[in-house]
Amino acid sequence: MTDEFPKSRTCPQSGSEEDRSLKPDRRTVVKGAAAASIALPTYLRDFNFMQSAKAQGTGPVKLGFIEDESGNLAVYGLQKLHAAQLAVKEINEGKTLKGAPNIGAGILGAMGQVASKPPVISKEGTALDTVDDGGAKDRTDLVYEEDGEILIDSGEKGVLGRELQLVSSDGQSNNSVWQQLARRMIQEDKVDVLVAGFASAEREAIRPIVDQFKQLYFYTNQYEGGVADANTFCTGPVCEQQVIPTVQYMVEKFGPRAYTIAADYNFGQLTAAWTRAYIPLVGGQIIGEEFIPLSVSEFSQVIARIQQANPDWVMTLLVGQNHHNYYPQAAAAGLRLPMASTVNMAQGYEHKRFKPPSLANMHNAIQYQLEVPTARNRAFVKRWMQMFPDDQYIGEMAQNTYFTIHLYAKAARLAGTTDQPTVKKCLELGWNIEAPEGSVFLEPGTHHCAHPIRLAVADENHNVKFVRDWPMIQAWWLQRLGVNLVRNPEYKQYTPDEDPYFAMFGKKT
Amino acid sequence: MDSFATALSILYQFGTNGAFLLLSALGLIVILGMMNIINLAHGELMMLGAYSATTAVQHGLPFPVAVLVAFVVVGVFGAVLERLVVRRFYGRELGALVVTWGISLILSQGSLLLFGPFMPSIQIPGGFLRAGPYSFSVYWLSLIAVCVVVIVALWWLYNRTTFGLQARATMQNAAMARALGVDTGRIYMLTFSLGAGLAGFSGALLAPTTSIMPFMGQQFVAPAFITVVVGGAANVIAGAVGSSVLLSLVRTPIGFLFGSFLGLVALLLAALIIIRLMPDGISAWLQKRLDNRARTRA
Repeated sequence: MTDEFPKSRTCPQSGSEEDRSLKPDRRTVVKGAAAASIALPTYLRDFNFMQSAKAQGTGPVKLGFIEDESGNLAVYGLQKLHAAQLAVKEINEGKTLKGAPNIGAGILGAMGQVASKPPVISKEGTALDTVDDGGAKDRTDLVYEEDGEILIDSGEKGVLGRELQLVSSDGQSNNSVWQQLARRMIQEDKVDVLVAGFASAEREAIRPIVDQFKQLYFYTNQYEGGVADANTFCTGPVCEQQVIPTVQYMVEKFGPRAYTIAADYNFGQLTAAWTRAYIPLVGGQIIGEEFIPLSVSEFSQVIARIQQANPDWVMTLLVGQNHHNYYPQAAAAGLRLPMASTVNMAQGYEHKRFKPPSLANMHNAIQYQLEVPTARNRAFVKRWMQMFPDDQYIGEMAQNTYFTIHLYAKAARLAGTTDQPTVKKCLELGWNIEAPEGSVFLEPGTHHCAHPIRLAVADENHNVKFVRDWPMIQAWWLQRLGVNLVRNPEYKQYTPDEDPYFAMFGKKT
Repeated sequence: MDSFATALSILYQFGTNGAFLLLSALGLIVILGMMNIINLAHGELMMLGAYSATTAVQHGLPFPVAVLVAFVVVGVFGAVLERLVVRRFYGRELGALVVTWGISLILSQGSLLLFGPFMPSIQIPGGFLRAGPYSFSVYWLSLIAVCVVVIVALWWLYNRTTFGLQARATMQNAAMARALGVDTGRIYMLTFSLGAGLAGFSGALLAPTTSIMPFMGQQFVAPAFITVVVGGAANVIAGAVGSSVLLSLVRTPIGFLFGSFLGLVALLLAALIIIRLMPDGISAWLQKRLDNRARTRA
C-alpha cells in the first residue's frame, strides 16, 4: 500500500496576507478526514491479494477512454479528454490524490469567522479572480474544513510499477460509433478499465457490452441517476443531489410555477420526471413541459410557448451545442425569466460562450465548476492551465473524469493487481478521495458518490456566485429502493416511476 | 389585448418558421431547382458561409459586411468547385449526388481538422420588441424581411435580365441555347456559383442563431430539400415560397399548441402528403391550375 492516508489534523495553512485575501471566507482550510485504523471487512478476507498480484499482466496498464471529440457534444468531450490526459500524466509522474478506503461520508466542521455575503467569482474565470470575497468577516458561524493541497506523491511512477496508458477514441457524438469503440476497446485492446460516456444515451448504448464482458466501467458524468449495475461505477452527481436542492431554492425564491424544457432522450426525460415528482413536495408545480430533439437549434416557438405559459422560472435541461442556442435566442427575444438547471453552465460553460445577459439568473446545484472558490481548486486549475494553456473552461464532468482516474489508480494499487474483479471488490470497500471539488465518497452498495454540492448563480454580467453550500449530499435514492450491488448484483436502471414514495406523497392537490 | 398579442406572436412564429425554411433552401433553389443537381454538399456550403462570416466578425468587420463577405467567398468557392468537379457530372444525376456527398465529407472533416470541433458564436444582433406577454427578436424580424428581398431579387434576376433569360434557356435546352450563341459553360458556372453564394449567404445569416461547428450544415439539409422538392421544378422560386408558406402554416399552430417536436412531425407529414397529392410539387400543380383556367377561358 503506497498511498498515504491524510494525516489527521494539521494546522491551517497560514499564507501571507495576500494569500489569505484570496482564500474563501467560508472554508477555512484544515485537514479533514481523521482516518483511524482500517480493518479489512469480512467479505474481503476471501481475497488473496498476493495471489491475484501474480496473475497481473506486464506492459502498460490500459485505460480505455471514449468521449466525443467532434460533433454536437464535443464541447464537453474535449474537456473530459484533457482531464484524462492530465490525470494520466500525474499518475505516471508519481502523483496521486489524497484519499483512502473505508472512511465514510462526512466532513469536519468548526467555528470560524465568515462574511455575511457569499463570494462572487468574476467571469475572467480561468484566473479565478474573486472580485468580491463577500466582504469583511464579521460574524462567527459553522464552517467546514478542507485540505488546500490534495496532490501528493504516490510512491511509484504509474500503477503497480507499470505505465498507465491512455487508449482514447472519438465517439463522434454518435451512439453506434460508441458501441463499436466499446467493443474494440474491450475485446481487442483488452483495456483494464473503461472510463467513458457523456450522454446517458451513450452510456445505455455501451452498458450492455460492458456487462456482457464484465468490464470494469466508470461513468463520470452527472446524470439522471438510477443505474444499478455491478460492473458500473457512477462518479458524477445524480438527481437527488442536484434537482432537489435546486428546485427547493427556486420555489422558495421565485415562486411555485415552473416550466421545464428538456433534451428529448433518457437524461432529459428522467430529470424532468424527477423535477415533476419532487416539486409538489415543496409546494410547487410544473405548468408546462417540453422535450426538444437534440438536432433542434431554433427556439422561437419554444420561447413563445414559455411566454404564453408565463411561469415563475424555467428549468432548462438542454444538452449539446445545438440546444445551447436557446440562451442567446431567448435573451435576444426578451425572455428574461430566472432559470435553473442541473447541466447548463457547469458543463457547456454557456456563460462564457455567450455574451451577457444570455445566462443571467441561471441557477445550478453543482459539485464542481471552474469557479469553485477553494485553494485546492485554484491549484488544480493552475496545473490544468499549465498543461492546456488554450483551454477556455474546466467543467463539472472534466473534474469528475480527473478524480475518477486517480481513484482507479489508488484502488488498483491497494488491490495489488489490475485483475478486474479484484479491483471492483477493492472499490467496493468504499472510498474517500480528495478531489478538486472537495471530499468525495464512493458508496459501495450503490456504486454512486456522495458529493459536496454548491448552488451556483450567474448574475447579469455572468459573474458566478455561490449562494448555498451543502458540504456533502449522499446519492441516497438507490438505497431507498433497496439496491445493494455488493450483495445482489443487478444490471438495470431505475426510474422515478418505480419509487412508490413519489407517487404517495407527490400528489397534486 | 392579449388575444391580439397572441395573434401577433403566432404571426411572428409563422414568419420565423417560414423564413428558416426559405433561408435553408435559398442556395438549393438555384442548384437543385434550376440546375437539377442533387447537391448533398448544400449544408457544407452553408457551413462555409457561417465560418466565413464568423471569422470576418472576429476580425472586426460589422455583421452585415461579414454576410456579404460570406456570399462572395462561398460564391467564388462554388465557381472553383464547378470548374474542377461538378461540371463533369451534368446530366448524370446520380453521379452528381455521389460526388457532392464526397465533397460534403471532405468539407466537414476538413474544417474539423483545420478549425477544431467548434468556434465561438457571433452575438445575435438587435434587441427585441414587446407585445403583451410576448416579445419578438428584431433579428428574426429582419431575417423575414431579408427573405422577401432576396426572393424578389432572385425573381427579378431570372425573369428580367439577359443573364436570367440565357440561364433559363440553358437549363431547358442546352444544345439549342448553345446554337443561339449562349456560352452555356459560363452560364452553368455562374449559376452554380450563385447557388453556392446564396447558401453561404444564408449560412452567414443563420450563424448568430446557431452553433458554429463543422457538421452544423446537416441541420439545414433536410429542411432545404423538403422545401425545394415540395415546391417543385415548374417554377422554382414560386414553388419554394409556396412550400415554405404552406409547411410553416402546418408547423406553426401544431408547434405552438403541442410543442416543437410535434410541430416537426406535422411538417414532415404535410410534406409527405403534399408530394403524394402533387408529385411534381406545388408549383407544377399551380401551373396546371393556371393552364386549365386559361384553357377554359379560351
